[in-house]
Amino acid sequence: MIKIITIIILLSISSFAMDVQELIKKIENNLNGKTLYIKMTMIVQTKRTKRTMVMESWGEGTKKSFIKILYPKKDKGITFLKLDNNMWQYVPRIEKVIKIPASMMLQSWMGSDFSNDDLVKESSLSDDYDCKLKSEDEKLYKLELIPKEDSAVVWGKIEMSVSKKYLIPMSAKYFDEDDILVRVLEYKDIKKFKDRFYPTYWEMTPKLEEKAGHKTILIVEELVFDEEIKSSYFTKRALKRYSK
Amino acid sequence: MNPIYQIALKNITYNKKRSIVTVLLGIASTALLVFMSALTDGSHDKMLKNAVEVYPSYIQITHKKFRDNPSFEHLIFDKKKVLDKLQTNRQIDTFSSRFETSVLFASKDKSVGAVVTGINPQKEKNLSKLYKSLLKGEYLNNNDTNSLYIGNELAYRLKIDIGDEVSFIGSGADYSFCADTFKVKGIFQTGLYDFDANSAFLNSSYFDEIFVSSNLATSIVVLPKNTKNSLKLSNEIDKLLPTELESKSWEQFMSSLLKAMELDSVFGYLTLSIFFIVIAFVILIYTLLVVYARIKEIGVLKAIGTSKAQIKQMLLFESVVLATISAIIGGLIGAYLAYYFNINPIDYGAQFEDQFKQYGMMATTLPTDFNLVTILRDIIIIFVLNILATLYPILKVNSYKPVEAINHV
Repeated sequence: MIKIITIIILLSISSFAMDVQELIKKIENNLNGKTLYIKMTMIVQTKRTKRTMVMESWGEGTKKSFIKILYPKKDKGITFLKLDNNMWQYVPRIEKVIKIPASMMLQSWMGSDFSNDDLVKESSLSDDYDCKLKSEDEKLYKLELIPKEDSAVVWGKIEMSVSKKYLIPMSAKYFDEDDILVRVLEYKDIKKFKDRFYPTYWEMTPKLEEKAGHKTILIVEELVFDEEIKSSYFTKRALKRYSK
Repeated sequence: MNPIYQIALKNITYNKKRSIVTVLLGIASTALLVFMSALTDGSHDKMLKNAVEVYPSYIQITHKKFRDNPSFEHLIFDKKKVLDKLQTNRQIDTFSSRFETSVLFASKDKSVGAVVTGINPQKEKNLSKLYKSLLKGEYLNNNDTNSLYIGNELAYRLKIDIGDEVSFIGSGADYSFCADTFKVKGIFQTGLYDFDANSAFLNSSYFDEIFVSSNLATSIVVLPKNTKNSLKLSNEIDKLLPTELESKSWEQFMSSLLKAMELDSVFGYLTLSIFFIVIAFVILIYTLLVVYARIKEIGVLKAIGTSKAQIKQMLLFESVVLATISAIIGGLIGAYLAYYFNINPIDYGAQFEDQFKQYGMMATTLPTDFNLVTILRDIIIIFVLNILATLYPILKVNSYKPVEAINHV
């Protein structure tokens, strides 16, 4: 009898360890879908300025995405293309396609508190991190993500709270290699789009002293899941072609 | 006149050869020291002046945290208010604001990160050497739009020349994305490699449009009417500023260069002091020889009743007279050299250009420093050394007994 119980316990533990990694994949899938079109507003706040941008984004899985800025007028038509780990930007004002070099990956994306790296790598959580369930309560899983040894990632640790009901993150805390909290991303306002739920209000708050007073808010305006996206979006030619 | 002094003077005129050699030795060392000091001080002055005047200028006003962390959070947020306050100060010659930011320049086939600065071209003419460093094309004017004034090394790295286009991407003062295409109007060369490889300038009115930086500045530079008063004036300006801003004079914000110069001076003085010691020994040995040759004469003086004190008095007087003559003549020669090379700086020639660049200098000529206080100091140093060097031989000789001295070979 005892033997059986032990086996069951052992099995459940190992299967649960599997589950956490599965869980991350599910979360990723819930955020990205097979394909995803979003129209969103980005509000970038600093101590003394507040800017609003509107953009459209097309994504396929976690490897391909295309972003186009619609507003403000000054930035209208700027496009970004991400293929695997590479990123390009097209700027109509100077009529140039610029490949964003690896050294600039950590720099701010369009002056927001998101980095270029966030747009490129954020989505490979399941590939780059080992996930551990730290605790859970009725509503939330608390996960700890530690980078795998061979993965080239920026963060030393990510702590994520995930809603049990929707399997969507509610917040993510990003720590650097010295275990200092660098920024917090909160997901709010979960709404239903057809058969899926999606957080429509993302708030990124940097925690470092030099960024005091900074905040970036993303508000999802439109969202279409799993509808086919033309493959022409994910080519370098698209940068110029879809800029207009 | 005390007969002892008369004897001393007679001694000097009687043994002309001895006196002339002593005086010549004194003259040479005095003149050399005066000139060496003038040379070291002069080159340091020139180096500092050069490094300050090329671009940084004498006084800079910035946000208190800007130097350690030059971010857009640490700007001068209301530059007009500060500029208005400077307007009324009578000790100020010129002042102007600058806004500098790092961007990525992209030409046809190259992209290079560099700093682009929005300046007031007219005022900058007085504040820095930018205008004088024009190499090709034209300097900016206050009506220019997307005309770029660029360092020759940067232009070389981007492979662009006058009339070519170069784009950039960067971020504005409100953190927004900016990009634009400029036309190269002028290329400058200050001779400071890092500066020429990293800097480009735009007319501020156009710059402010692109970088959303109107009424903002990263620094305000001030040229005092009397540059020697920089520190005092800077402190006065500091009191007028809002608390988050500060004013610093070049002695403060270029303190590392100043320290390097001081260290260089220390080494200079070490060399000089070795030089002193050598001079002192030469004088000492020469005086020793001269005085020893006179032991018989001193023995005779003693035998006829001259006291030790009188002999000491006589010998000291001789050396004071000779030292004074050499100090005056040597001092005059040294001072003349310092003055001459102050007006006609020494040209070290092109082969030393690189060494000069390390100190941030555009030219390879260095004037000497003509400073009467320093000259007087050096004259006194050699004079005292001269006297001190004769003391030991005098005391030594004076200790002989008359009989010993007369029989001394």
